[in-house]
Amino acid sequence: MKVTYNWLKEFVEIKISPASLAEKLTMAGLEVKSIEEKDGDFIFEIEITSNRPDWLSVFGVAREVAAVTGRKLKKQKSHKALKPAIKNPQQFSIVIEDKKDCFVYTTKIIRDVKVGQSPNWLKKRLELVGLRSVNNVVDITNYVLFELGEPLHAFDMDRMNPHSIIVRRAKNNESLVSIDGEARRLSSDILVIADKEKPVAVAGVMGGKDTEVTQNTKNVLLEAAIFDPVVVRRGRQRLGMTSEASYRFERGIDPLIVEIASLRTVALIKESAGGEFVSAETSPVPKRAQTRINLKENSIKRHLGIQVPQSEVKRILTSLGFEVKSKTKDSGLVGAPSWRQDVKAEIDLLEEIARIYGYDKIPTTLPSVFLRSQKEQEKDYFAIIRETLLGLGLTEAITYSLIDRKELEGFWDNRGGLVEIANPLSREQESLRPTLMPGLCRAVAYNLRQQQPYVHIFEIAKTYSKSENKIQEKYSIGIALCGTKTRWFGPEAGHVQDEAGFLHLKGMSDVLFQLLGIDNRRYCFAGADEVQVYASGQKVGLFKRLSRGVLDRLDIKRKEVFAAEIYLEDKLLPLAHMKKRFNPLLVPRYPGIARDLTLQLRQEVSLEDILTAAAAPNEALLTAVDFKDDYRRDKVPAGFKRITIACQYCSPERTLTEEEVAPVHERIVKILLERFQAEIC
Amino acid sequence: MDIEPIRQTLDSEIQPVKTLQELEALRVKYLGRKGTIAQLTGSIPALAPQDRGPFGRQVNDLKNRALSLFEEKQKQISAGPQEESRWSLDISLPGIAQELGHKHPLTQVIEEICGMFKRMGFSIVDGNEVETEYSNFTGLNIPLEHPSREAFDTFYISLPPTKEGKLLLRSQTSTVQIRAMKSQKPPLAVVAPGRVYRPDAVDASHSFMFHQIEGFIVDENITFSDLKGTLEFFAKGIFGQDIKMRFRPHFFPFTEPSAEVDISCIICRGKGCSVCGRKGWLEILGSGMIHPNVFKNVGYDAGKYTGFAFGMGVERIAMLKYGINDIRLFFENDLRFLKQF
Repeated sequence: MKVTYNWLKEFVEIKISPASLAEKLTMAGLEVKSIEEKDGDFIFEIEITSNRPDWLSVFGVAREVAAVTGRKLKKQKSHKALKPAIKNPQQFSIVIEDKKDCFVYTTKIIRDVKVGQSPNWLKKRLELVGLRSVNNVVDITNYVLFELGEPLHAFDMDRMNPHSIIVRRAKNNESLVSIDGEARRLSSDILVIADKEKPVAVAGVMGGKDTEVTQNTKNVLLEAAIFDPVVVRRGRQRLGMTSEASYRFERGIDPLIVEIASLRTVALIKESAGGEFVSAETSPVPKRAQTRINLKENSIKRHLGIQVPQSEVKRILTSLGFEVKSKTKDSGLVGAPSWRQDVKAEIDLLEEIARIYGYDKIPTTLPSVFLRSQKEQEKDYFAIIRETLLGLGLTEAITYSLIDRKELEGFWDNRGGLVEIANPLSREQESLRPTLMPGLCRAVAYNLRQQQPYVHIFEIAKTYSKSENKIQEKYSIGIALCGTKTRWFGPEAGHVQDEAGFLHLKGMSDVLFQLLGIDNRRYCFAGADEVQVYASGQKVGLFKRLSRGVLDRLDIKRKEVFAAEIYLEDKLLPLAHMKKRFNPLLVPRYPGIARDLTLQLRQEVSLEDILTAAAAPNEALLTAVDFKDDYRRDKVPAGFKRITIACQYCSPERTLTEEEVAPVHERIVKILLERFQAEIC
Repeated sequence: MDIEPIRQTLDSEIQPVKTLQELEALRVKYLGRKGTIAQLTGSIPALAPQDRGPFGRQVNDLKNRALSLFEEKQKQISAGPQEESRWSLDISLPGIAQELGHKHPLTQVIEEICGMFKRMGFSIVDGNEVETEYSNFTGLNIPLEHPSREAFDTFYISLPPTKEGKLLLRSQTSTVQIRAMKSQKPPLAVVAPGRVYRPDAVDASHSFMFHQIEGFIVDENITFSDLKGTLEFFAKGIFGQDIKMRFRPHFFPFTEPSAEVDISCIICRGKGCSVCGRKGWLEILGSGMIHPNVFKNVGYDAGKYTGFAFGMGVERIAMLKYGINDIRLFFENDLRFLKQF
C-alpha cells in the first residue's frame, strides 16, 4: 500500500526524515519496500501483513507513527455537527436480507451536486498513491477510502429506484455490468446491492456501470457499510476480480470508522461539488463487546525472555490505543480498540509489546541441547548412498515431481495408480510421477542438446502412486546413462571407450547392494529392453533400455539411453544393514594351481550357465571358478562368443602337483565342451 | 704402497655416476671380492711387520670411506628422477581415475544447513508431500476462508477428501510441525527439509516446485531470546561471522510474535546494490514463537510449553550463496551448471 509523508503529517507531527521514519516503521512490522520522492512529497510503499487491516489507511499508519515516534495524534476536525437538512424525505428504506452478510449499511443522500473535475490538490494526492482521477465525487470517495480505510461508494440516485436499498444474495440468472465495463454473471454466493428491480452493485467489490456517478449526475446516494469478509472474498473470487474495497472488506473494517468516514465524505463533496445533504439512514448496528484480555506480568518473561517494566508495558499499549487497567500487582486487564479485531488473546498483546519495545533490544540466548530421535538413521543411509553414487561418477539431478501423463508412455502403464492434480496450471503438472525415469531421461535429452558427449546422472527422490484412494510416496533411486565416456589407460593400452549399458547399471547397483549389506541378488531379462533386479527374492528395481519410440519423443538421435530405478524406501532399506563382523583370515596352507580356459560358445550360453556346470560335479580339488575375460573385440564367428574362466585347484593337505590336477581339469573341460558344444580356443 | 692416489681416483670416479647400474659396477671394482680394497687387504701379510699396523688402518679408512660414499650416492640416485621414465611417459596425458559426480547445489545447501542444526542437537525428519488441509492450514491456525491463505496457493489432489479435509501437495514444510508434534511429546527439536509446491507461473524467481527447510523446538522455557540466539548461530555459520542481522516483526498465522530475519547484504555488505534492492538487507527466513492455537491443535499444554519455529527457502539461500540469478537453473539439470558445484 502507498501512503505519503505529507499526508501522514496531517495526522501526526513527524520530526524525523522520511528515511528514518521508514526504518522505524520497518522495524515495527510495517515493512517499507521503497521510498520515492515526487512533487515535493515522499511516497512510501508499505507491505501490510494480512492480520493488520487497520494499517490499510493513512490514518492507520499515522497511529503507528505516533506510537513508534512517541508523539500524539493531531486532533482532527469533527463532522459530527453535519446533519441532514430533511429527515426521511421520501421514506427511504434499507433492507438487509441476512444480517450475517452485512454488519452495517448506511446511506447519505446529497442533492444537486455539480459533478466536475477534482481540485488540483485532490488529483495530485490520488496520483501519488497510484489512483487515476475520475471526477470530484468519485475521487472523494477514493480519497476517504485511502485516508480512513473505509470503502465508500457513490450511486447516481436517479438511475435507480430511489425508495429502497436491498442488500441480498444475487439470483442465479441475474447479471450486472460493473464499472470496469465487464458483464458479470451473478449467482447466489454473490452479495449484491439492489433496488426494487435489479442489482446495482456487487457488495464490497465494485459498483454497476449503470448507476455510476458521471458528469450528468445530480443526486448522489453515498454508501458506507461493512460486509462480511468471507462473503466478499468468495464473491470476488467467483467473479475473478479484486478492488481496493474488496481488499479491505476481506480483511476487516473498524466498525467505528464507518460513520466518521461517511460524514467526512459528505463534507468533502459539499466542499468541492456543492449540493445539499438531505438525508442519512443507518441499519441497526449490532452491539459488539470490547475484547478484554488478562495480561500477566510473568507471561512477558516466559515468552520473550526479558523483563519489561510495568510502566513501559502500559506506555506501549496505551500508545497503540489499548485501555490498560491494573487488576492485581502482577496482572492487568487490557481492552482492545475497535480497530484491533486481530487482538484476541494475551499472546497478541505480547507481540505488541515486543514489537514496540523493539526486537533488537531482546538479547540472544541458546536453548539447552536436545537428544536426537532415532528416525535419523534413514536419512544417513540416503547420504551414504548419495556419496557412493557420486563416487561412481554420477552427477546428481533434481527433477520435477509433477509430470505430463504423456511422458509416462514407455515407462509406466498403470494409469489407475496415478495421483492426479485437480488444479494444474499446465499439462506438465497434471500428475505426480510414479517413476523417476522420465524426468531423468528428459534431463539426458536436454544435455545432449547442449552437446554433452555423455550424461551420467542420478536422483534420489519420491515417487507417488495410489491404490484404493490411498497414496504412497516412497523414495527411489533413479539413474540414467547415455553416451560414451572415454577413459585413458596409459600410452600402451591407449583409451577404452565405455559405451554405457546394462552392465554399467548392474555394476553400480552391485556396488550399492554390497554397501548396504545385501548379498542375495539376481538380474533377469524381462523382454529385450528390460532387466528386473531381485534381492532376497523380491523385485527391488528395474533397468530399461529406452525404446526407439521414447527416444524419438525425447528427440534423442543415434544414442541409446539406459535407465534404472531402485525402490529404495520400499524394498531396499528394509533389507539394508551396515553391520560389520570380523571373519578370521583363511590362509591357504598349501599353494594351489590355477588353470585358465577359453571357450568359444554359442551366444545364448551365459556365464552363469558355465560356472554352474563347472561346479556341478563337486570336484574335491576345485575350489573356485572365476570369470576372467569376455573377448568381445576378437574375431568370433557370428552367433558365438568367447569367455575365459579360471579354475582354482587347491588341497588343504598338500601341495598339488600338475599330475594330480590335470585329470580333474580335463574332466571339467570335457563336461563344458559336451554340455555347451563349446570349443577350446 | 700409497693409498692416497686410490682414494682420489675413487672420489673422482664416483662423483659423475648417475645410475644404479654404473654405481654397482664401480662398487664391484672397489669393494668386490676381487676389488681394489680386497687386493689391498690381501697385500698386508707381505709387508714388514712394523708397517702392517699403519697400512691396515689406512686400508680400513679407505674401505669405510668407500662404503659411506656408495651409500650416499645410492640414496642420491634413488631420490632423483628416473631417467628412463622421463621419455617413456607423457605426463601431460589425462590422469587415470574414476571421475567424481557432482552433488546438486540444493543438496549441498540442505546438508550444510541441516548440519548446523544437527550440531545444535536438532533431529532431521522427513515429512509427507501429499498432505491434508488440516496439516497444511487448519492445524497451523490458518482458517479456511482467510486472506492469509492466499500466500499459500495450493495444488489439490483429485481424490475424495479425508476426515482431515482435502488432499493437497504441501505448500510449506510447516506441515511437519503438526505431524511431529502429534506423534511426540516435548521436548522436541526438529529440522525438516523437503519439496513444497505452489501453482506459480515459472519465471526467473518463481517455480511451482521448490525446497524449504522447517525447524522448530518445543520445551518448557523456550523464549524469543532463544529464537534469536539459535537463528543468529545458524546465519553466522552459513553466511559468515561478520554479517549483521535484524529481526523484523511480521505476521505468520502459526507463530506469534513473528519475525522475518534479514542479514546484511553479502554482496555489497549493506551499502545497497541490485541484489538487495538498494536496501542493504537480504531476507533469509521467517520465524516466530509457535502460536498457542497450534499447541492446542496438537494437544500440547500451551500453559506449560513454549517453542519457536522457522522456515526458509533453500533455492533463495543457494542463489544468494552462489550468486545464481535464475531459479530454473536448479531444475534444468544442465551438466554445465551442475559441474560447477
